[in-house]
Amino acid sequence: MSESALPLPLATRPRQMGFRRKAARVFGELREAVAQAAYALRAHRLRATLTISGIGLGIAMLIGILTVLSGFQVSFLRQLNTLGPNTLFVHKWKWGVNGNDWWKYKNRPHVTQLDWRALEANANLPEAIAPIVSNDASVTYGGKELKHVDVRGSTSKYLEATGWQIRRGRFLTDLDHELGTDACVIGADLEEAFFKGQEPLGQRLKVGPSTRCTIVGTFVRKGNAFGQPQDLRVLIPLSAFTRSFGLKRGLVLSVVAPAGKVTQTEDEVISVMRNARRLRPDQEDNFSVNRQDKLLQGFNQMTLALNVVGVLIGIITAIVGGIGIMNILLVSVKERTREIGVRRALGARRTTILLQFLCEAVMVSAMGGFVGVALGAGAGKLVDVLTPFPASVDPKVVIGGCLGSILLGAIFGIWPALSAAFLHPIEALRYE
Amino acid sequence: MALIELEKIVKTYELGHQKVPALRSIDVRIERNEFVAIVGQSGSGKSTLMNIVGCLDVPTSGRYRLSGRDVSDLSDDELADVRNLEIGFVFQSFQLLPRATALENVELPLIYRGVSRKERREQAEHALDLVQLSDRMTHRPAELSGGQRQRVAIARALVTQPSLLLADEPTGNLDSKTGEEIVWLFHELHEKGNTILLVTHEPKLAARCPRAVRLVDGVVVADGKGREVALANAEALGAETLAAFNAAQAAQTGRRVP
Ligand SMILES: Nc1ncnc2c1ncn2[C@@H]1O[C@H](COP(=O)(O)OP(=O)(O)OP(=O)(O)O)[C@@H](O)[C@H]1O
Ligand SMILES: [Mg+2]
Repeated sequence: MSESALPLPLATRPRQMGFRRKAARVFGELREAVAQAAYALRAHRLRATLTISGIGLGIAMLIGILTVLSGFQVSFLRQLNTLGPNTLFVHKWKWGVNGNDWWKYKNRPHVTQLDWRALEANANLPEAIAPIVSNDASVTYGGKELKHVDVRGSTSKYLEATGWQIRRGRFLTDLDHELGTDACVIGADLEEAFFKGQEPLGQRLKVGPSTRCTIVGTFVRKGNAFGQPQDLRVLIPLSAFTRSFGLKRGLVLSVVAPAGKVTQTEDEVISVMRNARRLRPDQEDNFSVNRQDKLLQGFNQMTLALNVVGVLIGIITAIVGGIGIMNILLVSVKERTREIGVRRALGARRTTILLQFLCEAVMVSAMGGFVGVALGAGAGKLVDVLTPFPASVDPKVVIGGCLGSILLGAIFGIWPALSAAFLHPIEALRYE
Repeated sequence: MALIELEKIVKTYELGHQKVPALRSIDVRIERNEFVAIVGQSGSGKSTLMNIVGCLDVPTSGRYRLSGRDVSDLSDDELADVRNLEIGFVFQSFQLLPRATALENVELPLIYRGVSRKERREQAEHALDLVQLSDRMTHRPAELSGGQRQRVAIARALVTQPSLLLADEPTGNLDSKTGEEIVWLFHELHEKGNTILLVTHEPKLAARCPRAVRLVDGVVVADGKGREVALANAEALGAETLAAFNAAQAAQTGRRVP
């Protein structure tokens, strides 16, 4: 109270505040609101902690689910891309089929070299057709045996039809298949296991119980697909494969369609196959033409379902957490009724009181949000490190978690805060 | 134009089905820069009147014009601003925030008028200095005596330099010397141009005011020179007290004496 400042005469309208004063007022009120809210929360530590950890766990769970799902999706799509978007796979089995139809597919005839020949002869659209057959066998070199090696038989078209690449040496040629040579191409894991720092080309391996092969090339490392290592493999000519392992195993025909003509190619393949197998018009196909986008559809349906479950869990936790916040706030408003009266009497506007209590609500929910984001991100990182899934934490999820939790506080805090703001000053002052 | 114009102000409290008339048709005009004492028996409606004048409560009927403007026309935000910028209120029951220190309590109204932190502190310290509490700034209300709390409440009302000061028994808990000092402070403010309404039970303080209004059961029964009204009030109180005392005495002796 400086001496010079005389009390101003009461104006008809309240004295106007300049911008600086208004800013200072808002700032001062906010600061006060935060301090008050912090004090109130400290005074009810246990209740605040319970609510915060409830919200935190809910958000952590939601983030965890979304992170793992998106990691799933990323790795799935990456693997799907290795199949090539224009490639059709003619197979006895239909991809993504569930257990109920198992016998139906089991009883179908294998896809054989006859089917392959028919497609080669009669289908005009495909750019390349590679027959692929595989078997799990052990491979020996220099007294060292590797079990569960993926031994595959195919032709020179294999590279074009699958996207695999040669690192050193050469791939199998048509001649290798026609003559049934002992040429083989080995995957990176095999190369590493047998030939650390040595020249693999020209070396001879024992594949399976009796077959001997000469290495003519090595594959570029491919990495995992669908959780399976792919680089522990040996590729030999199809004819050599049947000679070693017999004709019992069914083929997969990998058919590369010209870009943009996948559907036409699929139709053509189906009709050629039906002709080759002499199916009557009323008979069902006894083979499947699989496409990666079909696989994608099934996968998308599954992830959608999981996402819905995740979001439902999120909504339920949000409601439970919100009720906790509401409870904290209602008690806070009751306890501080007189204080509200005092503030109103001294010139706090309704919005000031509203802000003060919203601040408390948002502080609780935001703390819950941060805890949840930290926990969720930590769990995601753990999954990333400990499992083969690339569970990367999406920054969108983190920001969404923080904003969402703040919104949660605001939504569930608004009613108690409004009830505080609309208290009658005198009645609030008289409250015991 | 009078600063405060009260026309046929009625305030009735409703307690369930019962209606409690606290004010019945009050007509008072108070000019700018008046110093008015309000006296009357306990329950006569003094605090109720102060609340209405201080824009904290609204009358059941009647019109209250503040500086020519009908208060019922003002929005809630405008009322809040009037309370903050123009009015200083000393409550009968202090109404301090229990968790805040004396200094923070006094700073509170300054927050709502957008005073910067540094100035806020300075002004609040000065106000506490005026009521001789410089050595109790960091104490919370629970750590202060009744009289000290009352002085914090006074400092909080003065810190905004209000043009209208409403003090509801500001000296009730103070010894006569401290009370006199506070009222002396009010007189100084009055000389600087303030308008002051002072509710008091002490005839001596009321007598020193240029004007006094006496309430009985929510009606203005006397309005005039402070000395005269205060005297009348004291006499009335004395007579009533005496009568009550005599009646009690009579009842007792009536029963006791066989
Ligand atoms: N909220 C309320 N509800 C019901 N009645 C009330 C309420 N507030 C005041 N009253 C009644 O109104 C009348 C006037 O009360 P008020 O507080 O104005 O008296 P006062 O003159 O200030 O008395 P005191 O000198 O004891 O402070 C009293 O009879 C009281 O019981
Ligand atoms: Mg009173």
